[in-house]
Amino acid sequence: MENILELENISKSFPKSNFLLDKLSFSLPYGTILGFVGENGAGKTTTIGCILNTVIKDSGTVRLFGQEMQDRDTTLREKIGVVYDGDNFPGFWTAKQLSQVMRGFYRHWDNTLFQKYLTDFGLPEKQQIKHFSRGMTMKLAIAAALSHHPQLLVLDEATSGLDPVVRDEMLDVFLDFVQEENHSILLSSHITSDLEKVADYIAFIHNGRLVLTASKDDLIYHYAVLRCKESQFQTIDRADMIAFRKRDFQIDVLVPDGKEARKKYKDIVADHVSIDEIMLLLVKGEQI
Amino acid sequence: MKGLIKNNFYATLSGAKTLSIVMILTGAFIVAVISQTLLIAYIILGIIGFSETALAIVRDECSSKWGKYKLTLPVRRADIIKSQFLNQLLWTLVGTLFAVTATALSWILHGCPYDHPIDIVTTFVLGISISLFMGAVFFPLFYANGEERGSIFIGLSLVCAFVFDYAIVSLINYFIEPGLRNILLGILILLASSILAFALSCPLTIRIFKRKEW
Repeated sequence: MENILELENISKSFPKSNFLLDKLSFSLPYGTILGFVGENGAGKTTTIGCILNTVIKDSGTVRLFGQEMQDRDTTLREKIGVVYDGDNFPGFWTAKQLSQVMRGFYRHWDNTLFQKYLTDFGLPEKQQIKHFSRGMTMKLAIAAALSHHPQLLVLDEATSGLDPVVRDEMLDVFLDFVQEENHSILLSSHITSDLEKVADYIAFIHNGRLVLTASKDDLIYHYAVLRCKESQFQTIDRADMIAFRKRDFQIDVLVPDGKEARKKYKDIVADHVSIDEIMLLLVKGEQI
Repeated sequence: MKGLIKNNFYATLSGAKTLSIVMILTGAFIVAVISQTLLIAYIILGIIGFSETALAIVRDECSSKWGKYKLTLPVRRADIIKSQFLNQLLWTLVGTLFAVTATALSWILHGCPYDHPIDIVTTFVLGISISLFMGAVFFPLFYANGEERGSIFIGLSLVCAFVFDYAIVSLINYFIEPGLRNILLGILILLASSILAFALSCPLTIRIFKRKEW
């Protein structure tokens, strides 16, 4: 068993909003971080909902730790830590009460570890959560998600809205978590710089469809964007393209093999590409 | 289940603290004065008040991410609902205890506060019955129709509970001749019907909640 999480042809439709999550398939290997990228409304939260059973999928299979998770599989959920964007816990609780409640849910709740995170993150134990800043709320959610010794962390926009300092601090916690080879993280975000820092794999979702999945190193070191004029664009073999975007006087073309493209199209400038730019090309450009 | 019970308890406790202070203050006043009407109102509103606080917490939880977060915890959906029904029962009991204390103190200080001692039982059963009917209507209605209308459903379930009780009492009065034995029978019918409605509402709500999406 190589993957901690496997999605196979997951579909979910919302007829009222006309949204369709269309046969999504990807997997998350043990010991890695998968960045799940897409614009707002692309289907990231719906996908996570299908994984965690908060949304009931129409079809497809989700395998966690090699098995499909049913409502009755509480032991399986012991191995998962979840952080949502925003108010994960009732505001009238204190961190101390949160720990007492969580101890009732998780058999392996580690209060010593939770206290350590509270100290490390500078979180007060007796203050009500509603008086916490956004950064503190997210730190508390991450502390709670980690304190029952999960193997899989599912983070849905957990770093959005945080200042760069707190984000950096959290990303270090995530990197530390995946040091254990049986630990993995699914990190949904539209802050691509975070993913560039920590992710091993990136999956791009757009309009409910998975448009690209690749290793981050592949994207950064092998993928490239060709900056060409209309006449040059006509000479490019469509089999070499992933997507292109027409701008005023230039057409940007995303290619999977920059080295090969540089050799083949010598008169065209080939730049390294950032995850941000790949996302823009996939979302705003035309896919081949 | 332990975590769910703790969660519900802490959640309701925050709202119930204020209500408890109000109950203690009004209770002290009601014990001090001799008024059957005030005591009846105290008993019924006290029981319903705590019961309603438990329902308000369900509404508040579902409007925050916590409602969704709970589904990712190692608990079954059925247990989430069962714990909420249990919490409703627990806080109905807390309201009943407040009412019992005030009634007992009033009796000790001024003698029997009612014309007939059996009326005390009737008042308590009425309060408990309204609370149970309220929960029986609220839970399935709330989970079937969306959390954004939670406050409306609390109000609606209270009205429904009053209507159910009024209808049952009217039917009892119509079909059963007056008399102590028959009053006791009427009380039993009222209590049994509300317990039955509450008990049947639980599996119905579980069924609805199993299809609920966040």
